[in-house]
Amino acid sequence: MLEMKDVSFNYGSGVPVLERVNVKIGEGEFIGLGGRNGCGKTTVTRLLMGLEKPVSGEIVYNGKVINGDDASVRSHFIGYVFQRPERQMFRPTVREEVAYGPKQLGMSEAEIQEAVEEALKATQLTDLAESYPPNLNRGEKQRVAIASAIAMHTQYLILDEPTSGQDSEDKEQLMELLSELHQKGMTILIISHDMDIFAEYCQRVIVIGNHTKAFDGTPEELFTKRPDLYDLGLSRPDAVALSMAAPDFPYCKSMKEFTAAMLERIGGTKQ
Amino acid sequence: MMKKFVPVTKLIGTFAFSFWALVMHTPLPLVGLVVIELILLGLCGNLSRNIKAVFSLIIFAVFLAVVQLLGGGSMESAYVTGLRMLAMTIVFIILLTTTRLQDLTAALVKQIKIPYEYAFMFTAALRFVPDFIAESQAVQEAQACRGLSTKGNIFKKVINYMSVVQPLMLKSLGRSETMALSLELRGFGSHEHSFMSNVQPKGRDYIVIFVMLALSCGIVYLRMQGLV
Repeated sequence: MLEMKDVSFNYGSGVPVLERVNVKIGEGEFIGLGGRNGCGKTTVTRLLMGLEKPVSGEIVYNGKVINGDDASVRSHFIGYVFQRPERQMFRPTVREEVAYGPKQLGMSEAEIQEAVEEALKATQLTDLAESYPPNLNRGEKQRVAIASAIAMHTQYLILDEPTSGQDSEDKEQLMELLSELHQKGMTILIISHDMDIFAEYCQRVIVIGNHTKAFDGTPEELFTKRPDLYDLGLSRPDAVALSMAAPDFPYCKSMKEFTAAMLERIGGTKQ
Repeated sequence: MMKKFVPVTKLIGTFAFSFWALVMHTPLPLVGLVVIELILLGLCGNLSRNIKAVFSLIIFAVFLAVVQLLGGGSMESAYVTGLRMLAMTIVFIILLTTTRLQDLTAALVKQIKIPYEYAFMFTAALRFVPDFIAESQAVQEAQACRGLSTKGNIFKKVINYMSVVQPLMLKSLGRSETMALSLELRGFGSHEHSFMSNVQPKGRDYIVIFVMLALSCGIVYLRMQGLV
């Protein structure tokens, strides 16, 4: 369990970025983190990762306060994928890039090889193992960054807007990969402005607004019951809006679900 | 205070202070020169903001002095080397923290008659220093998230820093290329240039320039007498 207890933070100017934020992230959850631009979403994840230290409050991991541990220590159990993954790439091949993290953990040669092969396979990068990382496209770079975290056997994976600037195919591929990792037991925390991702993939959504946690619940509750949805800088996904507009329709988290429900209603079948 | 003067006055002042630092060859006048520069920096309101940079320069000055000593120099020459470097660099902090880069470019081209391309290169390089530092910080954070520790002895730190240097260089090269394209697309290289900044010296600028020249003559005279 990773927790933020009464965490407040500012960047030294005294202007509050976050005030008394309380968040619990249980193992095996798939959580979306949303809110307006500049609301403090990235700051929340930077605090969890140890890239920033709380002004007050505690970051707790499995009952132990880890405020004093820096990012290199927390990397043993949290993987972080930056918005621009090329910032962390410096090895001549994808394989060596992925192996860098396990080496920092002091794994044996055999363990490293096994961890790297597993991570490459899980992220479908085996064919690109000998490629030069800076030459990969954005989607592939994201997968290399995720593979680097998987190879370190981290329990938590934090991704900062991983789908921004990606085409729909790359986005779908990435989200499928994250779903698979989640099914294998990894805890996923994803920052995004994409409401479709929250609705379709996340079990829980946390929204930051007014310098604190403004919402914490299921995507269904967020998109159907919150009157301040748009005030929080969010919007209703098309599938949800359509399912709410149609009388006596169930909540549909994706267009696939909506299409299936509509076909069922009119008694047709999908070609 | 310094913002009242046009860039060319500050440039002449910078070169005058550097010239004095080179002419002086005893530690005491050089200490005086450094103190005057620090007071000027303080009067401009930029000392507290640049205290880290000044501290880093002091460490570098001590390093230079030690190298001078180890190279067989006397204690006095070690002091002079360190203080001279300090005096010649702090004055550049004053120049850069009190002058807008576009004004500096305009002064270099209009008054110093440096070709625009070279003046632009100089100021563009300065403009990218803070960006470069921010990018370096971002890369270090990315590597820390993969277990890279910044702790340990100096050799371990140097080895670990290699994992920061490479992505930083790649990023910088990419950025230079984008900037070059952007400049070409906006007509860089044209023979006609106009500047929005008015950098024409005023009466007070001429007075300061005259004082600088007079002081330079005075310091050269004192040096010939062996007093500084």
